[in-house]
Amino acid sequence: MFDLFIAPLMDTYFQKALIGGSIVAVVAGVVGCLVVLRRMAFLGDALSHAMIAGVAGGYLVMKLFFGLEAHAPGMLLGSLIAAVATVALISFVSRISRVKEDTAIGIMYTGIFALGVVAVSIFRHYIHIDLMHFIMGDILGVADTDLWVSAFVAAIVLTVLIFFFRHFQLATFDPIMAASIGLPVLLLDYALTTCVSLVVVSAVSMVGVILVVGLLITPAATAYLLSDRLDRMMILAALFGVTSVIGGLYLCVWLDSAGGGAIMLFCTLQFLVVLTVAPKYGLLSRWVRLRNLIPQQVVEDVLTTILRHEKPTPRSVIARYVESGKGLDRVLKQMIEDDLLIQSGMDYALTGSGQKEANKVLRAHRLWETYLESIGTPEHDVHTTAHQLEHLHQGDTVEYLDEKLGSPTKDPHGKAIP
Amino acid sequence: MTMNSAFVIEVQHLTVSYNARPALLDVSVNIEKDQLVGVIGPNGAGKSTFIKAVLGFVKPDLGTVRIQGVPAQQAKGQVAYVPQRGAVDWDFPITVKEVALMGRYQQIPWYTSPSKSDWATAMEALEMVRMEEFADRQIGELSGGQQQRVFMARALAQGSDILLLDEPFAGVDAATERAILDVLERAKRSGKTLVVVHHDLATAAEYFDKLLLIKQRLYAYGDPAAVLREDLLSQVYEGRLRIFKEVIKKEGAHV
Ligand SMILES: Nc1ncnc2c1ncn2[C@@H]1O[C@H](COP(=O)(O)OP(=O)(O)OP(=O)(O)O)[C@@H](O)[C@H]1O
Ligand SMILES: [Mg+2]
Repeated sequence: MFDLFIAPLMDTYFQKALIGGSIVAVVAGVVGCLVVLRRMAFLGDALSHAMIAGVAGGYLVMKLFFGLEAHAPGMLLGSLIAAVATVALISFVSRISRVKEDTAIGIMYTGIFALGVVAVSIFRHYIHIDLMHFIMGDILGVADTDLWVSAFVAAIVLTVLIFFFRHFQLATFDPIMAASIGLPVLLLDYALTTCVSLVVVSAVSMVGVILVVGLLITPAATAYLLSDRLDRMMILAALFGVTSVIGGLYLCVWLDSAGGGAIMLFCTLQFLVVLTVAPKYGLLSRWVRLRNLIPQQVVEDVLTTILRHEKPTPRSVIARYVESGKGLDRVLKQMIEDDLLIQSGMDYALTGSGQKEANKVLRAHRLWETYLESIGTPEHDVHTTAHQLEHLHQGDTVEYLDEKLGSPTKDPHGKAIP
Repeated sequence: MTMNSAFVIEVQHLTVSYNARPALLDVSVNIEKDQLVGVIGPNGAGKSTFIKAVLGFVKPDLGTVRIQGVPAQQAKGQVAYVPQRGAVDWDFPITVKEVALMGRYQQIPWYTSPSKSDWATAMEALEMVRMEEFADRQIGELSGGQQQRVFMARALAQGSDILLLDEPFAGVDAATERAILDVLERAKRSGKTLVVVHHDLATAAEYFDKLLLIKQRLYAYGDPAAVLREDLLSQVYEGRLRIFKEVIKKEGAHV
């Protein structure tokens, strides 16, 4: 136990990875909620790829003009500029031409990514960037500057999102209304993309270009399955981000695997588990709901059977008249839960609301019989057909029949119409 | 501010185009206070565009829209809007109560949270459209007519004197249509002006005080009897005359 859980915590590199990763995961989760709801996932991917050109540019400029080797703030600034330029180019292309936004994103980010790759390889004697490191990230080698940068980014982004929560919520949900009450919708769009760029830039050094979009959207999507309110979704997403980092880091130490990969693997597994067991939007609950679905027809048949029997009815009698296969016990249980029946000893009786429902169905049945009789249906068909039709009693159907037949009081068999 | 006229919405020479194709051309109309106004016209006539221009959401190429004397672009929030169905994401994680609260957002400063009285106003608005028992449902778990009513509650919570509704009756059953109309009428009685895009000519005369007939240009504005005239309708809805004859006959029987 000690070796598995406590020992890694003693190592500085593990501590730094844990702290840095958690900071990034929290802010990525929160921003990710808006990314998911606005269907911007592809844009996050694009931003992270485009950054490589910015990193190369920042490296070159700092080296050629200031003689600084691998100057981290310079590269960060470069990647931020590249990210913002990508966004601007994308919206420019999709706005002035008929090319749709997803295509514009695809064109621009591969183009800028390619520019970065070409630049890095041409200037390989000046730039000492390990492309592999950039693509895969290195969470166990987090430097102190990375930690500071991510803490700073997280503070800014979270402040903006918390203060302007309602603005982002409304602009995402209903931009026309947002504009109509004077919210600066376009400015909010830009603010959000800048936040996404900041988060992506601060996360790339840890999980790498390819996986960063996962950190942005997977925890948010996991939270989406569990929550019907945006604020709760954001809190849950932050939580899932942190658990992915913790779980992933332990995985990585135990299996001696790549850090970024382990985190995203854990994150994805977490999503799949929630997808299966989520109480409302999960697969399991959907399956259970479908299985427990009781046909309205069976419920109504039980009601009328008991009503006709005129006293508490044993199960055997109900089973004789109601075709429900093996599911009768489940139906009866559900009906007791729905306050339609009460069980007294071995027998079942109608409650007040059950009585009302039953009368409605019976009335529909007898009116349909009268109607069928009046249009000349052969006598031996009348009851069975009416038995099918009695389930059609929504809305105005029954009242229409009643009016059409001149509000009869007795059905063809001389029984009273309730 | 000049409040000289009885008109709450003044539209002068309004021209709006998308990609150089005019959707509205030289529309001028003045709408009086406390009216239930129906906007009718065929698909693509520019009804939604008209609504969006009054809202200040699309910029006119030419002409002006004034809301209570103020240019529409500056009159933010004086006009509440109920979107055409399908304009929002129904899977959005938001409850009915929160949607109604959105009507209050303009009044809440950005540095504070919604107060108790904001929530109370939102709940009151939900009660007005008889949706209070659904307050905690996610917005997608409602029927089309119920969703429509929630958005009306949001517009009512805004407290503005002018309400714009884009096809509130589209795809709802007769009972819900009644319920929505009832809310519209109560809003009118409480001193609001409502502009409603409507598709069903057969009920237009019965529902509205004034009708506005557009198809790119303004064809008529006034009492239903004056707008639902055979010659006008046949110009706007080319060809389908027979149906209109019936509409007009029915209209004659009403008056
Ligand atoms: N965003 C847009 N870009 C380009 N053209 C548009 C845009 N929105 C509307 N149009 C065009 O402007 C015209 C008016 O559209 P509008 O939506 O106002 O019609 P409408 O009367 O509301 O129609 P409907 O009854 O179908 O809702 C149409 O010809 C439409 O094709
Ligand atoms: Mg429209």
